[in-house]
Amino acid sequence: MKILIRSAEIIAPNSQLNGQRRDIWIENGIIKNIANAGELPTTEAHRVYKDEALKVSAGWVDMRALAKDPGLEHQEDLYTVRDAAAAGGFTEIALLPNTHPFTQTKESIIYAKTKGNTHAVTVHPMAGVTIDGKGKDLTEMIDLHMAGAIAFTDGIKPVWHSDILVKTLQYLQTFNGLLINRPEDTLLTQFGNMHEGITSTMLGLKGIPAIAEEMMIARDLRFLEYAGGKIHFSTISTAKAVQLIRQAKHKGLKVSCDIAAHQIAFDDTALLEFDTNLKVNPPFRSQADIAALWEGLADNTIDAIVSDHNPLDIESKKLEFDLAEFGITGLETAFALINTYNKILSVSDMVEKLAIRPRQILQLPVPAIEEGQVANLTLFSTELEWTYLEKNIRSKSLNSPFIGQTFKGKPLAIINNGKIA
Amino acid sequence: MQQLSVKHLLGIKGLTRADIELIFETADTFKEVLNRPIKKVPSLRDITVANVFFENSTRTRLSFELAQKRLSADVINFSSSSSSVKKGETLLDTVNNILAMKVDMIVMRHSSPGSPHFLAKHIKANIVNAGDGTHEHPTQALLDAFSIREEHGEVAGKKVAIIGDILHSRVALSNIFALQLLGAEVMVCGPITLLPKYIKELGVKVELDVRKALQWCDVANVLRIQLERQQIKYFPSLREYSLYYGINKKLLDSLDKKITVMHPGPINRGVELSSDAADSDHSIILNQVENGVAIRMAVMYLLAQN
Repeated sequence: MKILIRSAEIIAPNSQLNGQRRDIWIENGIIKNIANAGELPTTEAHRVYKDEALKVSAGWVDMRALAKDPGLEHQEDLYTVRDAAAAGGFTEIALLPNTHPFTQTKESIIYAKTKGNTHAVTVHPMAGVTIDGKGKDLTEMIDLHMAGAIAFTDGIKPVWHSDILVKTLQYLQTFNGLLINRPEDTLLTQFGNMHEGITSTMLGLKGIPAIAEEMMIARDLRFLEYAGGKIHFSTISTAKAVQLIRQAKHKGLKVSCDIAAHQIAFDDTALLEFDTNLKVNPPFRSQADIAALWEGLADNTIDAIVSDHNPLDIESKKLEFDLAEFGITGLETAFALINTYNKILSVSDMVEKLAIRPRQILQLPVPAIEEGQVANLTLFSTELEWTYLEKNIRSKSLNSPFIGQTFKGKPLAIINNGKIA
Repeated sequence: MQQLSVKHLLGIKGLTRADIELIFETADTFKEVLNRPIKKVPSLRDITVANVFFENSTRTRLSFELAQKRLSADVINFSSSSSSVKKGETLLDTVNNILAMKVDMIVMRHSSPGSPHFLAKHIKANIVNAGDGTHEHPTQALLDAFSIREEHGEVAGKKVAIIGDILHSRVALSNIFALQLLGAEVMVCGPITLLPKYIKELGVKVELDVRKALQWCDVANVLRIQLERQQIKYFPSLREYSLYYGINKKLLDSLDKKITVMHPGPINRGVELSSDAADSDHSIILNQVENGVAIRMAVMYLLAQN
């Protein structure tokens, strides 16, 4: 297939072409020609992409999505999660191991990698650290790595057991593997439903205190110093968490982190109406926390932005608040959220956090926009206004507080694996 | 005719001071009715009310039911000690099944905070929150404030100490909202682990010494220790609680003024309140119960007009 991207602004930090408008000619998945804007003929192309505000970057990578396959295929499966990812501009997604059964054998890794493999979105399964995510017995991490597990995490559950954490950090050094931990002291958060603060007090809901996240980060960082290896904290949410990781990076520890895109959209006061679509873990925090997250993004303390995609059926959400499940279906709105609320990041910064740093953290090659290179690209606009409508949702699930919201900025297409989506 | 600014009574949050004053004035009239030889008025004839209780309750349910009968409403009762979810039916399905039988008003008690707010988004009937978990219990706060007004002439300017398990108490939260709206000063007192960490931001005073709280206040609203609502251990023992936070007649007599003692019931006698204090002339506990019927009549009457 021959594809022409016409007069697109190339967003490629560290490349000479960064910020330049070019025509890009792609043939059979390879970038054949990069020419001055408007130079390449449209006549021979099977597909032409052009838009006044068209931008192109290396394809985006989501480091944190739940596919619910196998186990809860009525909420999402490996086909629909790719459709949702493509709609969100992601060419590669790393899937959490919280499936049923838990992703902890090489068969389950192979299943995720091969099911519906003919798609523009590449799937990278992550494997569990402990059997069934219970935090007690280690999985066969070397074997899982050899089968293609891209990182190790208990996903939505933290690796809470201190001895298991130390052993994991040590064991993963065998193959320079990555531990991704969700920092949460679950003793402090049990029965919690939302951020602990004046709003939770007024609503009579048990809080999820910020300190539950911060203590785990502080603890894990100390273990990292002791055991060596590297750790990535996923979906941090508090100001102090940003500060702790900033300090650790200055110290030279091998630490990285991400935030969920939706984390910057709401503070805890949004829950005053008990809307279960706003029930998410980590919970929506305070305005001061949100400000600190933006600062962390701006000074690169926060490396990546993730979708934290958690599709849930209506039966899990149309319930009393404390009985409803945590989670938002996030793949299709992640970029639009960041771009809409952004006041501080350049477009290059956003591409760093969506495409470059996630690959460096996951040890994936960063695709270059150069002639002769494989085309792994996301086409997007930072200006286009659009409304997120239920009828356009590609995920199987509709648990989003953003339905009906108008965003600025939209992913327009992805090109990867010789395919477009 | 004056009307409430709301269609449902989901909580004190959402009411205006004028709403509360209207409820009080209406309750004054109904209280007078309740003392007549014929205690029944036809105000809610042809209105069907369902009392839907997903948590155990004796006095609140009886009080609502009596209020409904005094207003000539048709009443049905649904009680389930375990949440309907455990039986496989959702709250919304349960309530919709009841509404399909042509019910106009739902009085609901439920263990989940915000459950009446959730219902209000999905059903058309008027909803009265009869207690939603650890969130609100608006009719209790209204009858408490009404009883203070009756005892002290007005609520504005009065000092009210709420003593006990504030963390798990819907009564405390609704009382704080109602009393502040009416211009009273509020203090909370209890073991520090039973006080919400951010409670000061609601503009209340916080006191850990029960004697100091009693010395400060005009009215002490003593709360029940909600052992059934505590999912985690918050204090070492009931023995220690009653020794250091329990209120008895000797303590009340040692104050340099006479204060009013209230309790939303049921009392754990000998735990938060001793028998000699509960039965003393400080106590207006039974007045609260009597006023509860008048307040609930007023609330349902006014909601039915909207």
